[in-house]
Amino acid sequence: MSRESLADIAQSAAAVARKKGAREVAAGAHRVRSVDVQWRDGKLEKVSEATTRGLGLELYVDDRYSSVSTSDLRPDALERFIEDSVALTRKLAPDPHRALPAPELYLGRAEVDLDLEDPHYGDLDAARRRETAEALEVAAREVEGATAILSVTTGFGDVMAESCLVHSNGFVGARRLTDFGMVAQVSVKDPDGRRPEDWDAASARHVDALPSPSEVGRAAAERALSRLGAKKGGSGLFAMAVENRSAGRLLSFLMAPLSGAALQQKRSFLDGKLGERVASAQLDVADDPLVPRGLGSRLFDSEGIAARRFKVFEEGVLRNYYVDNYYGRKLGLHPTTRGISNLHWKPGTDGLAALLAAMGEGIFVTGFLGGNSNATTGDFSLGAQGFRVRAGKIAEGLGEMNVSGNHLGLWSRLATVGNDPYPYSISRTPTLVFEGVQFAGT
Amino acid sequence: MTSRSDQGSEGTALGGSPGVPKTGRLTEEGAGEHPPAGQGIDYFRRFGVTEAVVSRTLSAALSRGGDYADVFFQHRLVNDLGLEDGSVNRAFTTVELGVGVRVVKGDQTGYGFTEDLSPEALEACGRTAAAIADGPARSSPVRLHVGARLPARYPLRVPWEEIRPEQKLPLLDGINARLFAADRRVKKVTVRFRDESGAILIADSQGRIVEDLQPMTLLHVSCLAEEEGRREQGGYNVAGRAGFEFYHPDRLERVAREALARTTILFEAGPAPVGEMPVVLAAGSSGILLHEAIGHGMEADFNRKNISIYADKIGKPIARSFVNIVDDATNGGARGAINVDDEGNEAGRTQLVENGVLATYLHDSISARHYGVKPTGNGRRQGYQFAPLPRMRSTYMLPGPHKREEIIASVRRGIYCENFTNGQVNIGAGDFTFYVKNGYLIEDGKLTRPIKDVNIIGNGPRALEEVDMVSDDLQIDEGGWTCGKDGQSVPVSQGLPTVRVRSMTVGGRGG
Repeated sequence: MSRESLADIAQSAAAVARKKGAREVAAGAHRVRSVDVQWRDGKLEKVSEATTRGLGLELYVDDRYSSVSTSDLRPDALERFIEDSVALTRKLAPDPHRALPAPELYLGRAEVDLDLEDPHYGDLDAARRRETAEALEVAAREVEGATAILSVTTGFGDVMAESCLVHSNGFVGARRLTDFGMVAQVSVKDPDGRRPEDWDAASARHVDALPSPSEVGRAAAERALSRLGAKKGGSGLFAMAVENRSAGRLLSFLMAPLSGAALQQKRSFLDGKLGERVASAQLDVADDPLVPRGLGSRLFDSEGIAARRFKVFEEGVLRNYYVDNYYGRKLGLHPTTRGISNLHWKPGTDGLAALLAAMGEGIFVTGFLGGNSNATTGDFSLGAQGFRVRAGKIAEGLGEMNVSGNHLGLWSRLATVGNDPYPYSISRTPTLVFEGVQFAGT
Repeated sequence: MTSRSDQGSEGTALGGSPGVPKTGRLTEEGAGEHPPAGQGIDYFRRFGVTEAVVSRTLSAALSRGGDYADVFFQHRLVNDLGLEDGSVNRAFTTVELGVGVRVVKGDQTGYGFTEDLSPEALEACGRTAAAIADGPARSSPVRLHVGARLPARYPLRVPWEEIRPEQKLPLLDGINARLFAADRRVKKVTVRFRDESGAILIADSQGRIVEDLQPMTLLHVSCLAEEEGRREQGGYNVAGRAGFEFYHPDRLERVAREALARTTILFEAGPAPVGEMPVVLAAGSSGILLHEAIGHGMEADFNRKNISIYADKIGKPIARSFVNIVDDATNGGARGAINVDDEGNEAGRTQLVENGVLATYLHDSISARHYGVKPTGNGRRQGYQFAPLPRMRSTYMLPGPHKREEIIASVRRGIYCENFTNGQVNIGAGDFTFYVKNGYLIEDGKLTRPIKDVNIIGNGPRALEEVDMVSDDLQIDEGGWTCGKDGQSVPVSQGLPTVRVRSMTVGGRGG
């Protein structure tokens, strides 16, 4: 079974579904090989390796809809599973908005090589993975002040994923991609009894695009050591700089209410705001699925819709929602795509140091802890840690604090955007500086 | 990452309010035991899994000299029905069938898994996991034996596979109709109904073999209402290891009532205050305090690695003498209940804090060997794709000497937290948060204005020291809580009597 091609698995499952009574069907088969090596304090902690596979089907039966998946691909079991699934679908209420995407949405697929598969994937062996994990720890323990380190856990992992998606109205799409990542976590001993921790990580589609393990290991240790002595600061309104790697969490609360599902279900504080200014002119973000080697790059989305670049926010004005096929039909809107691919920010001119210098007084947030945001109203409240900024420089460490507000107010006070997009996430957030943010502490 | 993130299903409001009758039981259900699974494997025989195949897999796993090995077979069928815009018009089904093989050498773990249950694939998987060790083969058991009889903490009258869709559909439609009939402000309702039939088989190199059938069900209701151009969204959900009988009329009535009440209260609610103040936690889902402030920090993997703020604190007083905290697998039908853990170890009740003194970490087999103690039955995993880790089950505080009214009356200015959506903790620094969906301001000893959408942040050991009043009204929450750690999600329960924490930081916006 595992040697059968994914296209064959998907095609034959789709044929069975049609035979059992599905009017239309989307079938996706995947195979993923993943290897993870974890290293801790001088020796291997854990090694995990597996090749997994599965099949997913979206069934359209008499104007009724279901979505099913299985990892049991034994032919008899699979046929019975599809038959049962079609029978179940018939019991549901009809939904006139359910149909596969119109075939014209499949057209216009970009003819570019996204370079998502590393041709050297096969060269990676157990020794190289282990050496990388070890090198991460060695680097962490070489920083100044390393005697305070209690423990270092590092990891190296890689994935080779293949998938094939077929729709009964003509779409066929296959992809192969690789992913490599490394991480280092460092815990340090604070004289006050706490054991602060921090991490650094990197990931890339090609192994040779990763930074050196020594860079990542060192950064993790320096970050953890910088947490020593952090304390709760006073409550008040402060200017807030959010480090590029943490800004993605803040941004996610602005992006989630842009989905067709949130709009159609009236759970979006951005409902009805298309074409309106919802943030300061500094917010200028496009969705770009066609970045070579991008972590979110794709030629078509999970519904087969051809991927194209579009503006989400243009100088603070909301330009597009994320509308998939189903909610597009429900809302009477043309679908864009189901979810974020890669975000491209119109960059600012300065890096972190210059941004903090310009900010002068305020708080530099390097991590959020828990909290949530109400997608219907835009109210948010998030735990935060970081540093006080005094006279444009990083000063004492802060912990156990909270940031709150409403997103419409917050993003209208976005003062500056950095030139430093975080390369290891699809949202590629730069450092963001906001004015007048409510912090809670002592 | 060492932050642990936990949330209610789909990230929406969960939990029980003080008026809600308690549904979790604190005593173990009956003395009923189900007989051992035949003369060995019962359920998994249908997949061609025999003792001989298991035995060969274990011997492949030990072919390079690990200390011990185990195999974890799993079959899980999950059915979801969804109601949106007035009809049950979508279904989602997932079948998971696979096996994970683990080899342990000291603190080191080798792991492999496969969806192919053929003897060749299983042996190959065993050899993959074996590579963590590098020595001569260790002998594996020739005969496997069924372990001790398991308790029956979630017996089913009728298995989920035998419940027809026609029986479930009216339940979703009924809740939808009830919500729209109850209040003209209701504009959108979604209902999600889930049932799960899970089976696991664990066999290890000591020759133990055990099977367990693990049902689960969850009903999640979300409601969107409009009033004078304002919109608010709230909801309620219930979950348990139970069959269809879980949905008796009282519970369905309560789900609809709570979903509506927790939405419409938000129109009256304003922002919470800012800064340090007394925080009173309502009985029930406020157990999220324990989950974040101490539960994760007591998971023994973090302690054997020396990275928890609770490392080196066993036997030391950390709270007032009336504070008793347990992690319990035995609450009949609870979402966090298990008959046996995912390593085949007996799962009972573990005392984390006894009369204010830190008593026991939550152990899996690796940490138990590290500390030279008996495993506590906390070795759990999301599925066959993952090696087990020490995880919580149902975590709650036992009743204390105070009264709810007395606790509220004691606060001059503070907040009362009723319902929660999610929480998170940094294990080493000890900082933790939980997000309060709604509650009340306390002014001069009385609940006054409703508040909403506020995160509370504290430090674990300090917050426990500051628990200075504990009521006698323990409730185990009936909501569908899920705990996340190292990329693995497991179902848990939590509970609390009404509790006062003398001071925590409230992340509001004034008022």
